[in-house]
Amino acid sequence: MTSTLDFIQFVLAPQMITGLSLGVAVVLVALGLTIIFGLLDVINMAHGEFYAIGAYAALALGAVGINFWLLLLIVPLLMIPLGYLTERGLIQRVFNKPDRHVTTLLLTFGLALVLEDVLKVAFGPNTQRPSTPIPGAIEMFGIMMPNYRLFLILFGIAIIAAVIVIVNRTALGAMVRAAAFDRNMAASLGVPVTKVYAGTFAFGVALAGLAGVLLAPVFSVFPTMGRDFIFMAFTVVIVGGMGSIIGTVVAGLLLAQVQVLSSLVVSPVWSDPIVFSIMVLVLVFRPQGLFGRLGHA
Amino acid sequence: MLSPSHLPLSATLRHDRSGLLMRASHVLVVVFVVAALVFAALGAALGDTFFLRLATEALILGGFALSVDILLGYTGLLSLGHALYFGFGAYVSALMLKQTPSFWLAMGVVLVAAAAFGFLTGLIANRVRGVYFALVTFGLAQVFAKVVYNTRALGASDGMIGIPIVPIELGVVTVMSNAPVAFFLFTLGFVTMLYAVSAYLLDTSFGRVLGALRANENRVPFLGYSTHRARLAIYVFASVVAALSGALYPMLRGFVSPELMFFAASGNAVITVVIGGVGTLVGALYGSVILTVLKSVIGTMTEHHLIVVGLIFMAVVIFLPKGLMGFVRPRVARLLDGGGR
Amino acid sequence: MTEALSIENLSVAFGGIRAVDGVSFVVRRNAITTVIGPNGAGKSTLFNLISGQFRPHAGRVMLDGVDRTGAPPHLMQRAGLGRSFQITNLFFDLTVFENLQLAAQRLDPPHQMLRPISRSTIGLRRVGELVERFGLEAKLGELAGALSHGEQRRLEIAVALAAKPSVLLLDEPTQGMSHGDTADTAKLIRKLGREVTILLIEHDIGLVMDISDHIVVMHQGRKLAEGSPAEVRADPAVRTAYFGDAA
Repeated sequence: MTSTLDFIQFVLAPQMITGLSLGVAVVLVALGLTIIFGLLDVINMAHGEFYAIGAYAALALGAVGINFWLLLLIVPLLMIPLGYLTERGLIQRVFNKPDRHVTTLLLTFGLALVLEDVLKVAFGPNTQRPSTPIPGAIEMFGIMMPNYRLFLILFGIAIIAAVIVIVNRTALGAMVRAAAFDRNMAASLGVPVTKVYAGTFAFGVALAGLAGVLLAPVFSVFPTMGRDFIFMAFTVVIVGGMGSIIGTVVAGLLLAQVQVLSSLVVSPVWSDPIVFSIMVLVLVFRPQGLFGRLGHA
Repeated sequence: MLSPSHLPLSATLRHDRSGLLMRASHVLVVVFVVAALVFAALGAALGDTFFLRLATEALILGGFALSVDILLGYTGLLSLGHALYFGFGAYVSALMLKQTPSFWLAMGVVLVAAAAFGFLTGLIANRVRGVYFALVTFGLAQVFAKVVYNTRALGASDGMIGIPIVPIELGVVTVMSNAPVAFFLFTLGFVTMLYAVSAYLLDTSFGRVLGALRANENRVPFLGYSTHRARLAIYVFASVVAALSGALYPMLRGFVSPELMFFAASGNAVITVVIGGVGTLVGALYGSVILTVLKSVIGTMTEHHLIVVGLIFMAVVIFLPKGLMGFVRPRVARLLDGGGR
Repeated sequence: MTEALSIENLSVAFGGIRAVDGVSFVVRRNAITTVIGPNGAGKSTLFNLISGQFRPHAGRVMLDGVDRTGAPPHLMQRAGLGRSFQITNLFFDLTVFENLQLAAQRLDPPHQMLRPISRSTIGLRRVGELVERFGLEAKLGELAGALSHGEQRRLEIAVALAAKPSVLLLDEPTQGMSHGDTADTAKLIRKLGREVTILLIEHDIGLVMDISDHIVVMHQGRKLAEGSPAEVRADPAVRTAYFGDAA
């Protein structure tokens, strides 16, 4: 009996909290991905690189003495013009070609290659780790919990909630949803569709940048950091239902738990295959994912 | 009513655009082979090893890209994980050659194993379409690459080294896999054979069903074809082509590593096909040469060749979406059409 | 002799709405049977049930006396069913020849699947026949997407007919056609009706009354009436529900 409780307290609970912070992290990265797909029908292969750019921007600006809390605001703001220009300058050029999915995927893939190498040129290939903005740890449920992880979970949840509110409850979000549902109808209702597209893309990119700032102290910063996360993020987006925000949140939190808890039982090497198998099973039985798509209820 | 003999079969066949374009591809392959032979003669005369081996690798990767074009260009399936099959072929070949350095045995085993592996994974990948297909193939490759990366019996992250030199018996001659000129010529012949078999298949009635899948998948079942079966069949075929190309890799390099299965390898094949020309088959070969030349030329100047490759790739996607051969081939086809009249 | 096609008590519902509700009728061999009814009456859904696109929740589809209920589209095609679509559904990036060849190569023996299409003698001959019959000689090398709307509608029928089906479903073949094209198409369908069993959906009432041997009237997913053109025209229920009093 005690051993069971011990297992829960000293093994399961800490592991689940680790899973929660991983889940929040994954959702933060995946949110931008799913919003961009939901509205523009674009698979942004460069999303992981935007996430990396956010992390590097935080590193560089932090090095010149800018406070971490200020970075949480500055970096996403800096990402907005980058995302906006990417959409207007690149995506829009091929947006109306017959095979939008493939073409935009290829284009953003090319962009990812370029960005990754640019980061290598600018910052070198080595791994860097910013110092934790909130040092120390507190004891929770009998285990030690780093303060920053706790902050990450709470702040991450707040951001996720804010995104949901923005998309579902504001006039801006309504325009986005209208454009996602029927582009022509939205345009005829006076929605500036091209601007909404570019703005939404920028919003997604800003979210990736914000995730970069937040996760840098936990997962370190290196030029290919985007790649490591993007597989999990794509899986989350597919399982949740491409373009569904709620789906992304639910799938992200669940799959992170699966990954973390499965490593208690089997070698961590197998956690990716397990997560992938879940994705395949979901696709087999519910090809549209767990939840519907943005703008399509 | 006019009798059907009024319109001879050859007259209708003249309007078979896919067939005409395929004949144009054949012409361009002949040009490619001739250029490669000249290159081999030059290499032999100058006693070169480095460039011949680099060119051999370009051919092997061209064979791999061929399989990606069969899926993307002829069936409309974008695989982001096709390096899985290239790497699979390379590993199976390496394992076999370490046991017994018999070329034909290794190739035979790769053929059968890749067909079985392609079938099983194809069942999963073909549950979904479009972007989902791209992401599922991406995930499939990612998972298997990770497993290989962590399996000690397969050399884990180091891969396997010490693949022996293989004698390739071709009846009258025997080619040694470490002889630069001979192995280049052999690879050229082998990849041309892969091209020929693929081109033949795409020109059959079955091949035309694939083109129909790409053009308008929804209509295909009403013509009496199971879309699922056709897709699975071509997926298996493309897996085998990729694996057979991969099987030559350890013979050339003497080692295999998990990188062969990584996303970068799959992505490279896609870049090759897009630059060379999607849906032209021959574009995969030209694209591979272009990419290899680009990488080695830029590689002598900077190690950051991905910036340049990435920018060129993006420029092609935006400004030359049909790729180099997509630009050249219709012109060749017009010459052929005019000449055949 | 068995009927070419017989529909028995066919039903399907989407989200609680009964799109097709207990519909039964028989399609006589080598005759033209037309389904009419207002928009939303369930006509196209009925076609999708027959051609295997949707699986019915109840009822049976008998083709040439064999129960084919729930068979997928490619098996329905092989069982002898051909169909055209209300919204032109062709291979727009392929030439007219390639469209026809794709549809006709089913007539070749199975081993042709792995032989070059230049060896598809039966298929190619069939393409030749269709081209003359539908007057597409001059358009053979053009992309289907480059044809005029009327030509596309004609090609749509030719593709459906290519594999020599025993029953041909035509979903609004004259949709969007000019007056002259409509008359030509009516003539064509009437001619076809002598050699193949046709089940037709059509909105042009004049045309329907003119070429149909038998008419089935649908309304809100149900069969309202059926009979010869004269009988249907005289049916009081049809007059109120469909023609209105203006007819």
